[in-house]
Amino acid sequence: MLETLEQASGGLWPYLVVILIGFLPTEIWRIAGVLAGRNLDENSEIMIWVRMVAAALVAGVVAKLLLSPSGALAVVPAWGRVGALASGIAGYWLTRRSVLGGLVIGEMVLITVGLVYS
Amino acid sequence: MRQGSGLPSLVLMASLIGVGGLTKDIGYPMLAGVLSTVLVWAGPAQVLLFGSIAAGASLPAVAIAVSLSSIRFLPMVVSIIPLLRGPGVGTGKLLIGAHFVAVTAWTEGRRLLPGLSEAERFPFFVGFASTVMFAASIATGVGYYLIGALPSALAAALLFTTPMFFTLSLVAGSRTAADWTALVLGFAFAPLATQLAGPDFDLLIGGLVGGTLAFAVHKLRGGQHA
Repeated sequence: MLETLEQASGGLWPYLVVILIGFLPTEIWRIAGVLAGRNLDENSEIMIWVRMVAAALVAGVVAKLLLSPSGALAVVPAWGRVGALASGIAGYWLTRRSVLGGLVIGEMVLITVGLVYS
Repeated sequence: MRQGSGLPSLVLMASLIGVGGLTKDIGYPMLAGVLSTVLVWAGPAQVLLFGSIAAGASLPAVAIAVSLSSIRFLPMVVSIIPLLRGPGVGTGKLLIGAHFVAVTAWTEGRRLLPGLSEAERFPFFVGFASTVMFAASIATGVGYYLIGALPSALAAALLFTTPMFFTLSLVAGSRTAADWTALVLGFAFAPLATQLAGPDFDLLIGGLVGGTLAFAVHKLRGGQHA
């Protein structure tokens, strides 16, 4: 069905992909938040469970982006990507819990590995 | 906290320059990348979308992965809605406001909205968030042409911004043993889940198992609010 749609849509296909595969699957959660918001307490047990699952999912996405990277990130070897992430977390603690500090240190390690190994 | 307010916007611009580069990698037009910034408005989802297409994943599988990466918007929207409600702000306007919810607008909204009168809140939020979105759209378009011209280590650094920033946000937001369980298990289960469940359902399995075990830790520790 998707192939037929791709042929029928011609040059509009990339925009359809953005809408059908990107926008709708994301927006349903925002809509659900508005519709459910009236009846949900943000500190209810169900919301705590949803937050935990969401946190585990974001961590899983991070692992996925690092272990099977896209585009330019793939030029840095896997140990360099994971090492840079670990350095960034260490940097966060070393800079007294500064997200900016951790980000700068992680990026610096990644750029250094990238310059040497790519 | 005031000096911290520019950071999410800066990170957002760097991430979306990277997304622009990915859009070009898969041969999509520049405006498709910009459209993804305006409509999807979620860095990890956009990187997953274009990155998975580049890797040749099937589109239904990509849609599932994109959707799972965005579940966090449900609790985020639920927690910001009480701040957006006001005179004349019904469900329709709330849906518009919710569309702008992503890490930047949510963080800034929770920080700034309580200081405004109820009537000011919705217009302020939409005005602020759409300004950031406009700048982010330009960053996406610039990235489309810029990434290929950059030294590869710098291009890699821009794409590294999304995973690094989201990891640090999770670390910074983790207060309880349950939070840490969700973070560590979610990360550690990802490669295992790919082995066991394949690339289509690994995120779902990893997130449900990691998140549910974290919730069990929360209950065992006496159920204090995470």
